[in-house]
Amino acid sequence: MGSSQSTSEEVRELVGKTGFSSDQIEQLHRRFKQLSGNQLTIRKENFNNIPDLELNPIRSKIIRAFFDNRNLRKAPTGLADEINFEDFLTIMSYFRPIETNMDEEQLEHCRKEKLRFLFHMYDSDSDGRITLEEYRNVVEELLSGNPHIEKESARSIADGAMMEAASVCVGQMQPDQVYEGITFDDFLKIWQGIDIETKMHVRFLNMETIALCH
Amino acid sequence: MFLLLPFNSLIVNLLGISLTVLFTLLLVFIIVPAIFGVSFGIRKLYMKTLLKIFAWATLRMERGAKEKNHQLYKPYTNGIIAKDPTSLEEEIKEIRKSGSNKALDTPEFELSDIFYFCRKGMETIMDDEVTKRFSAEELESWNLLSRTNYNFQYISLRLTVLWGLGVLIRYCFLLPLRIALAFTGVSLLVVGTTMVGYLPNGRFKEFMSKHVHLMCYRICVRALTAIITYHDRENRPRNGGICVANHTSPIDVIILASDGYYAMVGQIHGGLMGVIQKAMVKACPHVWFERSEVKDRHLVAERLTEHVQDKSKLPILIFPEGTCINNTSVMMFKKGSFEIGATVYPVAIKYDPQFGDAFWNSSKYGMVTYLLRMMTSWAIVCSVWYLPPMTREANEDAVHFANRVKSAIARQGGLVDLLWDGGLKREKVKDTFKEEQQKLYSKMIVGNHEDRSRS
Repeated sequence: MGSSQSTSEEVRELVGKTGFSSDQIEQLHRRFKQLSGNQLTIRKENFNNIPDLELNPIRSKIIRAFFDNRNLRKAPTGLADEINFEDFLTIMSYFRPIETNMDEEQLEHCRKEKLRFLFHMYDSDSDGRITLEEYRNVVEELLSGNPHIEKESARSIADGAMMEAASVCVGQMQPDQVYEGITFDDFLKIWQGIDIETKMHVRFLNMETIALCH
Repeated sequence: MFLLLPFNSLIVNLLGISLTVLFTLLLVFIIVPAIFGVSFGIRKLYMKTLLKIFAWATLRMERGAKEKNHQLYKPYTNGIIAKDPTSLEEEIKEIRKSGSNKALDTPEFELSDIFYFCRKGMETIMDDEVTKRFSAEELESWNLLSRTNYNFQYISLRLTVLWGLGVLIRYCFLLPLRIALAFTGVSLLVVGTTMVGYLPNGRFKEFMSKHVHLMCYRICVRALTAIITYHDRENRPRNGGICVANHTSPIDVIILASDGYYAMVGQIHGGLMGVIQKAMVKACPHVWFERSEVKDRHLVAERLTEHVQDKSKLPILIFPEGTCINNTSVMMFKKGSFEIGATVYPVAIKYDPQFGDAFWNSSKYGMVTYLLRMMTSWAIVCSVWYLPPMTREANEDAVHFANRVKSAIARQGGLVDLLWDGGLKREKVKDTFKEEQQKLYSKMIVGNHEDRSRS
């Protein structure tokens, strides 16, 4: 194991940047090493080793979110090939629990960031709008495992939902008006009132150290 | 040239004498007790001494860490995140309820539905139950083996000297001793069973066979310096039954077979293993399969049933997990052995990793490397519990019975009871498992959709 000085410096930097505590960072670092096979970066293939993730219908979207340049705050479009530990933590920080000492502004910011993460998951071509195609894509993926649902019904469900969303965002539309897609502001409007800050986080267990006693 | 000769013979003499002394000691203190199944208590004494040394070493490390203001202990965790136990349905209902403008009785797909899956996905990426079962268990304090040194840095000179001494003792004294014992044990097994094979069938042959087997396994136990504590020996498996245990390493066989007389089940290998197997089957009926026969489940089940129904034959030893797990949990038991209908005698084996980690990570180490690692650890300490026999109930199916046995073993050994298949070490999740979640979710949506279209 390396010596203490440089790693605690790095850890402190990461604590400042991402908001995790140093214990949590250490735990996540071990998990990172496990996933990457002790390499310095993770690629998409490394996520194939998690059996529980296979059960998730939107696993490809979740994995993609890790490499999305918008989530990594590196560029407005495109995907990275591999991510290092700091990037890993950046993505994880979208799911950090809300702290009790946050003020209104911080809460609002937190909520916006979390919603932006979800928006990016829908908006796969990074054009800033969730089009009908992209919406259909998500619904199909979520319903893909069921052999009894044909593509047609998945489509119509998506179309129905899209129309509802349009009516919320734009109100009554003229018959020849085309709804281009849900922008981020419309997205925020849809989620108004839904309390996601407390739902969109992963709770860390309290770490206790144990003493040695025989 | 001539000057060398007497010098040479002196060395040869010394060598000869020391070897003879060594062998006599070996014989008296190890082999003879093994034959008769008694123990001088040397290994227990060794274990107590080691514990005292570890305690001293830990104290020194604590002191040293305090001086340098380090954090010495790794945080204890059984997983780093608290997974939310709410189900898919509850969660989606809750989110939709809090939405502003939707009525509850006409739900359809909503943007928020993606939520639950997103969070679940994140949770599994952060920490999942399965992957951590396939790597060695981490220790809370250092046991002076460099292979378990993850976090403990150089603390003091005395500790390093102690570690160096440990290396010397383990590699230069214990290792050759253990290899010699192992060699003796294996060759005695082959020779002994072959000789017993020439005897005419009868009670004398059985008696000899049993004792030859036991003797050789006991020698092997000493070859690994295995200190085993058996609990509840009155529940030991009887003829016509199947003995079922959790699997951590190939050593499990030696541990169980040194306390009881079992019939082994397995595939015939080539090389040294094959020689041993062929010799063993001459003395008493073990169940060995050819490679091609292993795939045929009916054939396997048939032969096992045949063996079990013959009351004069020995109890079969089977490890239903099918692969080695790292001894912190018990994984899915394959139902094959539970379909046969014989009495099942469950056995729980729990190793104490402080003296040497017995888990065989077959993707990391081959068999020979593994055995060498075993022989250069301090010792193998484990506890074996014989659980009371269980039989399949009238309307119980094999899978349910297997799970019942598995829970009993997990509970006794203090291991986590998991539903996952040990085969995931090498393969991917079966597609049938994947579809469950998606079916549940789509039922929620399509079911509602149908209601809507009807109204």
